[in-house]
Amino acid sequence: MLGLAASRKFGWRLISKPDEELIAEALGGESSAFSELATRHRARVERLCQRFFSDPEIARDLTQECFIRAYTALASYRKEMPFGGWLRAIVTNLCYDELRRRRRRPEELVGDFSAMEVQWMHLVNDATPEQLVSDAEERRHAHDLAHRLLDTLRPEDRTVLIMKDSEGMNVSEIAQTMGWSAAKVKIRAFRARQALRRESERLQAAARRWSS
Amino acid sequence: MNCFEVRQDFPAFWRRELLEYRRAEMNAHLGQCSKCDAAFRTFAMTAPVLHSEHAPQTPAGSGARPREVALESAARPASSARVNYSEPRRWLAMCASAIIFIAASTGAYLAVTPPAASLSEALTSPREPSMQDLFGPDTPDLSNDLAG
Repeated sequence: MLGLAASRKFGWRLISKPDEELIAEALGGESSAFSELATRHRARVERLCQRFFSDPEIARDLTQECFIRAYTALASYRKEMPFGGWLRAIVTNLCYDELRRRRRRPEELVGDFSAMEVQWMHLVNDATPEQLVSDAEERRHAHDLAHRLLDTLRPEDRTVLIMKDSEGMNVSEIAQTMGWSAAKVKIRAFRARQALRRESERLQAAARRWSS
Repeated sequence: MNCFEVRQDFPAFWRRELLEYRRAEMNAHLGQCSKCDAAFRTFAMTAPVLHSEHAPQTPAGSGARPREVALESAARPASSARVNYSEPRRWLAMCASAIIFIAASTGAYLAVTPPAASLSEALTSPREPSMQDLFGPDTPDLSNDLAG
């Protein structure tokens, strides 16, 4: 009793309902049930948006947009698929459309790097793997530089790379989510890695030139 | 570890999810194999975005831009502003609640139970126990009223 009272008072979720139950309640007109669903999945959706866009405001807007789309399309949700997977399909398509809308052609890696970015590239060239791992998490410019590198890819290549590497999806899952053929997914993944390796080498060479 | 295994483990290595011995093997392999070392450095260029669990904190002042949208409550519910307590703290709260409940129950039980000495005395006495024996010396004697 006291535990229940405490959970109500402080928002602790001691007893959580499964997603399917909350969806049924939301479809029945219970708006707080969808709020609970949004709270539960929000961090993951926002993190996925941040992999597509470096600007946190764009990521937040897309997260919001994703939940609006999910709410309006909730009646089409089928129980056979986990709600998280359904939501991921929505957010991936949303981010892919936004990538295409914002930039029709991939950007060239421009040469104006900040001192901190150059320092990070030196670390990538010279530091031990352990040092790289421990330093990267704290470095905002490592994150920005990674986004700049990913910005050189075509929207579909970037989408495939994020779904495969970050989300751990296999080829058939990506094909189903994006409505592409499996062959297209494989080709895009291969080309994305090729392009990324090429641009990364260019970047590291530029950093070496900068220092010499 | 061969080259394939090493490259498979890059994401786990990046997220510090490898066991210590596996991590040491990884470091040893990367120190010896120049191809895997180069592959790891290429991997490290995009790993802050593709393989990190959390994005780095944004600088202060770049907070959320107000934006009025329909169904905002659905997308950004009020409960999301609450403190998100971690699992151990929830368990701690549950344990504390249970202890308080047990203590309160025990106290209530002891408060309503009559003293054992007077009860045993009353039950073992040869005469029939009076109202004072059972409920204390201040209880008025109603036996005559009941008999009447």
